[in-house]
Amino acid sequence: MADEQATEDLNLVRRIKAGDDGAFEEMVRRYHARIYSLSYGVLRNVEDAEESTQDAFWTLYRKIGTFDESKKFFSWFYRVALNAAYSRARRRPSLPTVSIEDRMPRFAQDGHFAADVPDWSVAIEDEAAARELASRAGEFIAELPPAYRDVIWMYDVEEIPSSDIADTLEISIPAFKSRLHRARLYVRQRLAEVSSPRPAAEAAG
Amino acid sequence: MSHDEKTCKQLILDCLLEFEDGTMPEAEHQELQKHFEMCPPCMNFLTTYRATGRTLKMLKPREIPPALADTVMAFVRARCGKKEP
Repeated sequence: MADEQATEDLNLVRRIKAGDDGAFEEMVRRYHARIYSLSYGVLRNVEDAEESTQDAFWTLYRKIGTFDESKKFFSWFYRVALNAAYSRARRRPSLPTVSIEDRMPRFAQDGHFAADVPDWSVAIEDEAAARELASRAGEFIAELPPAYRDVIWMYDVEEIPSSDIADTLEISIPAFKSRLHRARLYVRQRLAEVSSPRPAAEAAG
Repeated sequence: MSHDEKTCKQLILDCLLEFEDGTMPEAEHQELQKHFEMCPPCMNFLTTYRATGRTLKMLKPREIPPALADTVMAFVRARCGKKEP
């Protein structure tokens, strides 16, 4: 199936390169939803995501000649779209940079946890609270350095297969897994910081 | 009593991802499962690691703006100076 998609992509790419505007329109219809979804993930705003989607297809239109046909088209295009979204995100007031290391779990010399590990998972049992927390999680992902931000977004949010992500980002599967895990540990810790481990009784309001 | 029993640190930092993603051999998975069941901090960590995953799934936008494909086409046509067909 994946091969079939790649073959169809390549046919469209060749037709676009040959100046077939109908093929470009087919490409837009084929991928606009996925590119929008990706852009929304980075930008968290409908208007920005729409504009970023336009930017991505405009770049595709102009740069398709530089696409190396031995590579997977969608991986290439996904990267184009990620760059478009990040360059738009950079125009916003900048986020504080974070240290992932500071948010990794801490262990004592003997390998046990250095402190209590509260279970805050009750916080997502309520639908509205879970949505609020999801929105915070989006902000926490945005704090991450790009190498981490990309993998956690693509895998945990967009649910893209790991092999496709490794391919898109040109990294090995072990490198992918290592980044994904560290990104998850970071976001988990940030969520822990904003979640009350106790039931709603002590929550404000 | 085995020598290769994992510490909490090894479990969380080195094994948790594969424990969760289904690529871990069954025997190892069972051994680690025992650790989780007997170790409240690790179990809480696992529970909240999973809660993090479930939370992230909620971020995916479910709605694509209507007519987005048309908007994109209009944008590209305008940029390259072509007329609407």
